[in-house]
Amino acid sequence: MARMKFLCDAERCIECNACVTACKNENEVPWGVNRRRVVTINDGSPAERSMSVACMHCSDAPCAAVCPVDCFYFTDDGVVLHDKDICIGCGYCFYACPFGAPQFPKNEAFGSRGKMDKCTFCAGGPLPDNSPEEFAEYGSNRLAEGKLPLCAEMCATRALLAGDGDTVSEIFRERVTWRGASGFAWGWGVAYNKPGIRRGYAVEDKATGGD
Amino acid sequence: MLWSLLLLFALTLLLPLIPYAVAYVNPDAGGVPNPGSELWREVRHANVGTTQVQGVDSGVLISEYGERWRQYRMQQLAPWGAMVLGAMVGIFIVYYLVRGKIRIEDGRSGKRVRRYTTTEMTVHWILASTFVLLALSGLILLYGRWLLIPLLGASGFSVTATVCKLLHNYVGLLFAAIVPIAFFLYLKDSLFNLKVDGRWFMRAGGYFGGEEPSSEKVNAGQKMWYWVAMLGGFVLITSGLLLDFTNLFQQGREWLMGAHVVHTIASIGVIAFFIVHLYLATVGVEGALESMVNGHVDANWARQHHDLWYQELQAGQDSTVPKEGLKAGGTHAGGVASPLVKD
Repeated sequence: MARMKFLCDAERCIECNACVTACKNENEVPWGVNRRRVVTINDGSPAERSMSVACMHCSDAPCAAVCPVDCFYFTDDGVVLHDKDICIGCGYCFYACPFGAPQFPKNEAFGSRGKMDKCTFCAGGPLPDNSPEEFAEYGSNRLAEGKLPLCAEMCATRALLAGDGDTVSEIFRERVTWRGASGFAWGWGVAYNKPGIRRGYAVEDKATGGD
Repeated sequence: MLWSLLLLFALTLLLPLIPYAVAYVNPDAGGVPNPGSELWREVRHANVGTTQVQGVDSGVLISEYGERWRQYRMQQLAPWGAMVLGAMVGIFIVYYLVRGKIRIEDGRSGKRVRRYTTTEMTVHWILASTFVLLALSGLILLYGRWLLIPLLGASGFSVTATVCKLLHNYVGLLFAAIVPIAFFLYLKDSLFNLKVDGRWFMRAGGYFGGEEPSSEKVNAGQKMWYWVAMLGGFVLITSGLLLDFTNLFQQGREWLMGAHVVHTIASIGVIAFFIVHLYLATVGVEGALESMVNGHVDANWARQHHDLWYQELQAGQDSTVPKEGLKAGGTHAGGVASPLVKD
């Protein structure tokens, strides 16, 4: 049995937000809810990196651990799903999740948030596969059709990988082997052959003067 | 043979040191560290990045605080809270079995004195009912997953939890409104009198043997409960409003988790004290509950438990207070003939 995983290759992500758009369109998620987002760290500096992030489908999922009504469950593929008919919208999963994956359609007075919504790895929910009810509540169920999540399928630079953990890590391992793991591949110093500014961002920042 | 063994031993110790020696001679020999490693270390500490997605905390890629909060809720709050509250209930069951109900020693005199006004009783019961609703719904949300899902099933408990969440979030506001009123209403009676209350505390209120120390209208234990409930109440209200109105200033997860930790510690503390109050006001002390039901207590109860207050009443203008009770009490433990009064 496969163990489904997402992996975002930060050396490749160009922050085009196609994954975000693809997800929103495919699953027709409510206004205000984004199951996936792209976060850019050190925006504008030589150390800039972007990462597409959504539910990472943890094995020891903090959301499932803290849920007061126990509405989470794990599929045979290791996908973390939840039952919206049981969810009470308390927001505890949002506190516990390190990735900020759980989203709520509302943020109103008296703790009114609505039912939690998050990435399903395009695997729907507890309702019958590909039924209109399932689509309305949880969005697309591509996994049941033998397809992978659309965000990863759409990724133009193949930065976002989705699929069985073994396959995904094999692809990534191969990439790392070819481009080298110690950071030589990236940056101004490499492009202009300035060996002195290869080591780390601190040196690089000084040498380039934030260029 | 021995030499080869010694050589082997020496090599085992020395060979692993070679990389250190190389690094000492030529610090750059180890290769360039991955700049990415530094970046990801920083990211783990909730560095805020930029994102096109509009939302609370959207710019945070990874936050470690959630895991810490999970540890707190699942491994500290839930088991320790249960132990504290369970121990309080256990202590009072044992206390009841050993000591039993604290009776009115002289029996009822049949003469009643006024203890609380209608306003005081009304505020008390609004405070009490909101507090009990909040405590129960909060405890159900904390422990229902273990205690009620096996009974009600996941769907059944979901309905219960929804009701509890709504109750907690709406009744909380009522509680927030009534606590300040209660604070000022009972403040005058609840200020500590070092001489009388210090002595009361030294003797643990006479609950564990010895004669009952003198007390004013409200004894030192009750004053302590007032301060725990009121100060705890203010902590609960402040943290509760942060959790209840998440749109107040769009507070993020760190605020909410912090407020939750403060809220739960305060609530376990106040509920623990509430168990003491509940026991003593109902089954623990005969004749105590009626003071909050009809505002009156028996004259002998007042003389036994609140002697200084009773003397004040007798000295006062109220003609319904029996004047002769003073003499009758002289021979009894806990009566007015306490050393303190002679001072």
